[in-house]
Formats: sequence, structure tokens, C-alpha cells
Amino acid sequence: MKAADLTVSTGSHWHSGARITDFSYNTLLALVPAIAMGLYHYGISAAGVIGTAVASAMIAEAAMQKLLGKPVTIADGSAAVSGLLLALLLPANTPAYMVVVAAFIGIAIGKQCFGGLGANPLSPALVGWAVLRITKPWVGYLDFDLALINYDLGFSMQYPLAVLKASGASGLHDFNTWNLFLGNQTGGIGASAIVCVLGGGLYMVARGLVRWEIPLCFLLGVFIASSLFRLVDSAAYAGPLFHIVTGNVMIGAFFLSTDNSSAPINRWGMVAFGLFCGMITVVLRVWSVYPDGVVFACLLMSLFVPLLDKLRASPIIVRPATIQITKEARREGASS
Amino acid sequence: MSVFKEFTKGLWQELPPFRLVLGLCPVLAVTKSATNGLGMGLAVIFVLTWSNILVSALRKVIPRKVRIASYIVIIATFVVIVEMATQAFFYPVYEALGIFIPLIVVNCVILGRAEAFASKNGVIASALDGLGIGAGFTMSLVVLGGLRELIGAGTLFDVEIMSAAYRSHSFSFMLEAPGAFICLGVLLAIMNAVSAPSSS
Repeated sequence: MKAADLTVSTGSHWHSGARITDFSYNTLLALVPAIAMGLYHYGISAAGVIGTAVASAMIAEAAMQKLLGKPVTIADGSAAVSGLLLALLLPANTPAYMVVVAAFIGIAIGKQCFGGLGANPLSPALVGWAVLRITKPWVGYLDFDLALINYDLGFSMQYPLAVLKASGASGLHDFNTWNLFLGNQTGGIGASAIVCVLGGGLYMVARGLVRWEIPLCFLLGVFIASSLFRLVDSAAYAGPLFHIVTGNVMIGAFFLSTDNSSAPINRWGMVAFGLFCGMITVVLRVWSVYPDGVVFACLLMSLFVPLLDKLRASPIIVRPATIQITKEARREGASS
Repeated sequence: MSVFKEFTKGLWQELPPFRLVLGLCPVLAVTKSATNGLGMGLAVIFVLTWSNILVSALRKVIPRKVRIASYIVIIATFVVIVEMATQAFFYPVYEALGIFIPLIVVNCVILGRAEAFASKNGVIASALDGLGIGAGFTMSLVVLGGLRELIGAGTLFDVEIMSAAYRSHSFSFMLEAPGAFICLGVLLAIMNAVSAPSSS
């Protein structure tokens, strides 16, 4: 037996023991507090957006699977999770046709065209959101200051990141970091409920359904990049805590960037993925035309996942048996 | 007559962007409207037909080792003619197509036909091949441009098709670059599904 023919490598995926249905329904469960806070703040129109997104994502999944002659698997809940994540990023009164278009393109093009669950290179929810974002006549509906103009919830109804974009860190004296953390800010239906999203995310991590590396490094990346900007000019750039508790960072760290098939599978890959997602988020917030950069940062880094998967300096699953066989074989090869 | 086949094969069997999957750069870039697609397609028909004729006529004169350079010179000649003609007579089309008219020189369809067909076949067959492939290319560009224009802007050949309410909130994603890729991919998938033998 030639030793050179043996390759020791890690398994291709993590397996936490959970099935797809367990994963999906636990994700839905983890997002319940964020949904509740969205409904509390924005009322029935938020329920409409969530219902439309979940329903059209599941219909799109079933229709594509029928069309492609595959077994229909909407009962596993993965399409519902994608639809829900999409809805949580949108303002409460997004027109229904936008939600439907985003969910259909996200699921049909972003997921089923690439082979369905487990084969999609990008998270379907993010694809749907990005389609809305670059459709110029519709952008007004995604601008939180315009979209939520009829709401008065008892706290500042200005989108914190838009204020930051317009007037720099010196315009932020209205915002209290603790209040922002408690979810007293405008934004996406669920994405703005920071504390609820954090709680749900910690639940997912505790259950082992989300690896801790990506969320931690995501937040760390945001922290590092915003601290660097802060060091350069503290009047123009907001501090790291402000960046962490506003916009989509929290939902991005725990739920968007950790999409099963568009995130790396090795520890150092996850670390690099999270750090770069976080840092690109801050860079986009500072330098791009968009107030928030979480979605584009996650999409961009998802494209690098095949490369990040090659970072295998320290494989997480070490299989002693396989390595021993290799050593024995090598000894045999050396002696013969 | 088999020569006629050289013309019809370009309309379906060897439809350039969808069957040969050649010349995708202009296909994606200039199909923001059906008019642009038609203009680009007509320019390509002219260049392709005449370069095919000339390459075919000179196929015994051109040394094999320098054939690519020779083809490029021939193609570039006709591209310059097209560029000057559109600039003189169809200025709006010239402005809309911009850099993509000079870039016809490096369009893979044209060089591909010169290399694969015109350098091995007679003048008449090559002319028909150029006309057929060019017509297929034009057809594809018009279909793709029409679809993108209709969904993205609510118009077709600049005629307002959709209601004013749709046009003010049109799905302009289709006019962006990702919309072009998605539209092309979906059309490609439909064509493959229609023409592929059923696997079951």
C-alpha cells in the first residue's frame, strides 16, 4: 500500500445531530422574541409583511421543486426561515408586491436554481433583499425614515445609521446606546429588536445549531474596524458599541451570516469569515452610499467561502483512527 | 439544397448566445432595450457576413500561422465601417451602444465563425452561414432586450406597454447587470428544457 495515496481530511460538514427540521424550527423559535417585538412596535402591518414573506417563500420553493421534478420539501421549514429572515430586514409597511418578488427571486433563483437546500452559494434571504435594494424605483420603500414616517413609538424615529451618514458621530447625541440595545430604534421589523435577536442567537449557539465562531468574530470584526475609524477621528466616526447595537449587525452576526450552506466549515475559515464580514460592514457603513452594509458584506464574503474552506490549518474534527492508519501505512511504505 | 441549411442552423441549432454560448459580453451589456439589441444585432450581421465572405475568399491565400491576425484585420475593417456608418446616420444608436461597437472586433461569434466555418467552406456557404448566425444573434438580442425592457421599464421599442402606475414603479432590477445574468440564465434553462430529450 502506498502511503502517498492516503489523504487525511475533515468531514465535509459539521453534524450537530439535528435534522433539517430541528434546525429550521429551532431557528423559527429563536426568532419569536424578535417577531414579538416587531409586532409590538409596528402592529398588524408587520404581521402582513412577515406572513407574505413566509408564504411566498414556501410557495416559491414548492413551485420550483414541482417544476424541476424534485420531491417537495417545504415541510422542513428551510424556506420559511429564509422568508422570515427576509421579512425581519424590511420596514413594517413594505408593499406586498416587493415582498413577494424578493421572496420568489431569493428562493427560486438564489436557492433552487443552484440545487436547493445545501447547495446555495448565497443565503436566499440576502439575495431577495439585495434585489430590492438595487431596484431604483423601490428604494424609497426601504428607506426607514421615509417608510416609517407615520409611526410614533415614543423614541427617536430617525434611523440611527442614516443620522450617522448625514451628520457624523456628532449628530448622535439623541441616541443612548442602552436604549438602542433594548430595541428602541427604527429599522427592520425584527432586525431592530437587538436584545431579542441576541437572546435568540445565544439560544441557537447554546443548542449547537450555530457555531460560536462566526457570530463572535463578526461582532469582533465590527468592533475592531469601528475602533480604528474612531481612533482616526472621533467626531466623524461612531464608536464600536454604537455600530454593534444598530442596524442589521446583530441579526447578521447570528442569523444571516451563519446560513448553513453559505458559511465556511472549518474553524479558521469561520474566524476569517466572521472578521471580514464585520470589518466590511463597517467599511460599507462609512464609505458606501448605503447606511447599512451588513447584507452586502455577508453576500461578498459568502462568495469567498470556497476559498475559506481551504483554511484547514487546524481541522475541527480530528479523526485519530484515520491518522493512525496513515502513520502505519507510511511506516509500511518506508520499510518496504 | 444543403446550402440553405447553413442559414437555418443559426436560427436554432447553433443560436449563438444560447447554443454556442458565444459573444456573451455584448449580449449582457447592450440589451437594456429591444432597440439597442436590434441595433447591435444588425451591426453584427453586417460584420459577420462580410468578414465570412472575405475570409472564405482568401482562405487559400492566408498562411496558416498568421491566420488569426489576418482575420482580426479583416473583421476590424468592417467594424470601423459599421462604427462610422452608425455615427453618421444613426447617432442615438451609436451613443447607446458606445464602446460595444468597436468591441465587435473581439466578439467571439465572429472570430469563431471565421475560424470554424469560413476558413473551411466556400464563399456562398460562408455568406449564408454569416447571415444565419447573425440573424440568430439579432433575434436573441431582441428577445433578451425586449424582455428586460418590458419588465424593467414597462416599454418595448420605446413604446409604452405597461400602465403608467407600473412604469413609475417598474422592476428596474432587470435593467441592471445582475438582471441581465438572471434573464439570460433563465432563457438558457428554458431553451435547454424545451430541446433536451426527456431524461425520465
